[in-house]
Amino acid sequence: MEETVQKEQVKLRKSDLIKHWLGGYSQETCYNYERLQALGSAQAIIPVIKRLYKTKEERAKALKKYMVFFNTEPSFIGTVIPGIAASMEEQAANGVEITEDDINSLRTGLMGPMAGIGDTVSQGIVYPILAGIACSLALAGNLAGPILFEVCYKVIMLTCGYTMYMVGYKKGKTAILSLLRAGTLNRVTEIFGIIGLMVIGSMAATRVTIITPIAFTVGDVGINLQKVLDSLLPSMLPLLAVLAVWKLLAKGKSPTYVIAVLFIVGVICSLLGILSIPAAT
Amino acid sequence: MGSAILVAIIATLSTWWVNHAITRTWLYPLWSGFLVALAMGEPVIGMKAAAYIQLTYLGWITAGGTMPGNLMVAGVFGTALTILSGADPILAPTFAVPFSLLGILTWQAYMTLNSFWVHKADKYLEAGDLTGVRMMNWIPSGILSFILNGIPAFILVRFGGDYATQALAAIPQYLINAFSTVGALMPALGIAMLLMYIGKKKIIAFFFAGYFLTVYLHLDTMAITVFAAIAGVLVYFFTVDNKSEGA
Repeated sequence: MEETVQKEQVKLRKSDLIKHWLGGYSQETCYNYERLQALGSAQAIIPVIKRLYKTKEERAKALKKYMVFFNTEPSFIGTVIPGIAASMEEQAANGVEITEDDINSLRTGLMGPMAGIGDTVSQGIVYPILAGIACSLALAGNLAGPILFEVCYKVIMLTCGYTMYMVGYKKGKTAILSLLRAGTLNRVTEIFGIIGLMVIGSMAATRVTIITPIAFTVGDVGINLQKVLDSLLPSMLPLLAVLAVWKLLAKGKSPTYVIAVLFIVGVICSLLGILSIPAAT
Repeated sequence: MGSAILVAIIATLSTWWVNHAITRTWLYPLWSGFLVALAMGEPVIGMKAAAYIQLTYLGWITAGGTMPGNLMVAGVFGTALTILSGADPILAPTFAVPFSLLGILTWQAYMTLNSFWVHKADKYLEAGDLTGVRMMNWIPSGILSFILNGIPAFILVRFGGDYATQALAAIPQYLINAFSTVGALMPALGIAMLLMYIGKKKIIAFFFAGYFLTVYLHLDTMAITVFAAIAGVLVYFFTVDNKSEGA
């Protein structure tokens, strides 16, 4: 009892945490195949280590454990992991029995699940919804499109990232467990999935701008095939194109394969006069 | 000259993610292409080219350092070449695709060579030099990205203009039409890849809802997003009580 009172307690300051959180955004600066974000996450935690340990040797020893293979989604959700690591480092420096292995097994255990959730949130939801809206504006010639994308993306990213980091620091690993157990995150992901799907449904109708120029006459009546298709279902060809590509991908074909297919189909159909782009644009 | 240097910097930073608070969006053709458009003094044309490229690559998920095509290179080089050649922006995806495939090689070189700096950092750490560790994170990877992406971008913009316009002029009109058709078709890939990713059976009807609201009611994307958000909130609250059914 007396010993712990005597030992000086080192607390992390808010500025250390902010530096650690922001430094984590440089986690992929020296992105590499060997250890992916290892160096990045090590350099990010330097402010924390410097606060907690005084000597060169102690600092190097504490930092060394971060130089192992590490890879997660580092911007939106995965910031919870450095948050937890900072809190564990702080406790360890203050005499709580936490080993290097404890910290690293936790980081390694969480990096996969957090990458899964984080990539879904960032690359599956936030990015396509914003980019979808922004592209529509941009193709209409509105310079607000890309600017809107940039501003909204960064605001959402930094808000999510900061919140998750602080949750990780304050609540430690219990934070993630309760979050995962309640299934809240999954449900929220699904809700955003609904928004994403409606936006890309709209894009399927407007952004794949192919029509058919086929026209012929039966007796005295001229028939424009595109008009016939429009009366059946507007934007039918774009929808069919999307569904066909989806089918190919679902069969396990690679995106590069699909690009080749689209290229060949596009060129041949254009040369044969089956497909074209609308004349007005 | 000035614009070539700016485009070289954009190309470097689109792969060398110096800090995601700045460069996270530089991965994406819409933003990096727009920056290229600004640097080259063609904001509107370049923005449209960037948007067409963006749509092609919309569903490309990069995870664990692997990517099916280099969308950073596609966005920057595709936009630059579209502006240089004076082509219609709808041709941008056709220009971007070869770059994105070549870019797989530069990306692999970048990811492989960066491993050396980690070993250097190990050595600095062994000696207790934390500043050295920090430097290894930033400096060599930045130089590497400049060599792999920045210099080619500089050469393209500085010296490629005449070749690009000549090459475009040499392409007969029927091929231009064909490539335009390809460009119009490409967004189907971006959309379909997103469907693969978020199109779970339970909620796939919303994809068709978005489609039909657009073709029959002619709602624009903003309006669709508003209704989608309302639908999402409704679904959330109408399912909140049957927790036992979840999973």
